[in-house]
Amino acid sequence: MAEFSPFAHIAIGMARFIRPDEVTFSGVNSTFAMLACLLAKRAYDFDFTYINVAGGVDPDPSFIPLSSSDPVLSQGSCSIFDNEDFYDLCCRGKMDLCFLGAAQIDGEGRTNVSAIGDWHKPKVRLPGGGGGAVMLPTARRAVTWRTEHSPRSLVQKLDFVTASGGMHGLATPIAIFEKRHGRLALKHWHPDSSLEEVIARTGFSFDAIGATPTPLPTDREREALASLDKHGTFERDANVRLR
Amino acid sequence: MSRSKIVSLADLASRIPDGASVALGGSFLHRGPFALVRELIRQGKRNLEILKQSPGYDIDILCRAGVADRARVGIVAMEGNFGMAPWYRKAVEQGRLKLEEHACATLTAGMRAAAFGVPFQPVGGLHGSDLPELNGWKKLPDPYGSNEETWVIPRIRPDFAVIHVAEATASGDARTFGTPNWDHIMTRSAGRVLIVAEKLVEEEVFAQQPELTLVPRLLTEAVAIVPNGAWPGSCWPLYEVDYPTIEAYMDEKNEGFLDKHLAEAPETRHG
Repeated sequence: MAEFSPFAHIAIGMARFIRPDEVTFSGVNSTFAMLACLLAKRAYDFDFTYINVAGGVDPDPSFIPLSSSDPVLSQGSCSIFDNEDFYDLCCRGKMDLCFLGAAQIDGEGRTNVSAIGDWHKPKVRLPGGGGGAVMLPTARRAVTWRTEHSPRSLVQKLDFVTASGGMHGLATPIAIFEKRHGRLALKHWHPDSSLEEVIARTGFSFDAIGATPTPLPTDREREALASLDKHGTFERDANVRLR
Repeated sequence: MSRSKIVSLADLASRIPDGASVALGGSFLHRGPFALVRELIRQGKRNLEILKQSPGYDIDILCRAGVADRARVGIVAMEGNFGMAPWYRKAVEQGRLKLEEHACATLTAGMRAAAFGVPFQPVGGLHGSDLPELNGWKKLPDPYGSNEETWVIPRIRPDFAVIHVAEATASGDARTFGTPNWDHIMTRSAGRVLIVAEKLVEEEVFAQQPELTLVPRLLTEAVAIVPNGAWPGSCWPLYEVDYPTIEAYMDEKNEGFLDKHLAEAPETRHG
């Protein structure tokens, strides 16, 4: 079996949530979301609209930036669809798929990006939710990712609910979840992992009916990811491990 | 041509008194008014409130230098592959920075209220989030009977908006290239607008394409010309992020670093 790195599992797992003819958004502090959108453009034959926080609408950036809000992500775009515009688009129900970050996720797909511990006396102050509280409940679908799959990040109870409304999908090094009947259900586990391992490393209970090993990357998915991360910088910096 | 609004960077910063609330333009490492931020540190400002949907280096260095003690923000990070803003994090965890946590769109809604001349502004989303209760935000029914409800955000009127742009005229017109981020609503909601520009441009150039102008002169109080002033961040399309400097900023935790960093900043070479 060709190697399926946990880094690729997340990036390709996210890209596979993108659907034809939809509007898909990647935001700030979201390297994986940026890579997933650019990967889908290169690996899939269908058309979709990729918009991003740099104002780009189907851009053709001359390099892949470390920062997912780098203005190079509007290069080649025929318009600048700026921050106020894409938030308003989302609020009026026209954002099909929104990639949003999270530190903690619960079984309903709600997120905490605010604080670990009591918000007022935090053990750890987190970055904050950015768009989450407004975009998660208003986007048609939202997908998140975690580079660490553990009961610390996939929790029974959030320390603080930054954003509610429920993620449609979640990609981790060892699992792909998709919403079913209002809760995250296991769809796939990494071929080098197992259902038992996903259960042991997940803080919330979940439905796993019909779950299968994640289909291996296609040649085009592999090539697309390699072309986006020519020097392996993103994979090295992300430092994702299977376990 | 109207009277010139060009002043020095020191003059620009001196207009912001201790305790003022200041909205900073740009986003994360991109097109932030970082030269002005550093000048606030040099002038020993205290007790500033920082408003910005997505601050990073700016709020972090202001916390590092003890200049800011309040913030209204949506998401704070150094971004790229640097993760969290460490001095901001410490300041919040140790209670030295009083945080009002927003979603980016709620901060914008409050600014829209100020820009629109109304006391509050409806905003989409927020259902199920703990943020409304945390901040005491209210939910209102549609008075026109649709049975919809909307959260409303109270007016947010920063004392100052400071933005960094590619080009400005001597009369105070300003324009950027690439995304304006949140600079449009910041400059419409703030009491006073200060501009830092890479380059002074003749008015005829702006007049050829007035639709590119982000801030018209009537909103602008003063302009400082500071080439490379968004360093170590980017200013599209002129220069990219100086990642080695960001790395040094993150790694060198000794007290001397800040002085060294301030001394090597480009504005010190241009007066």
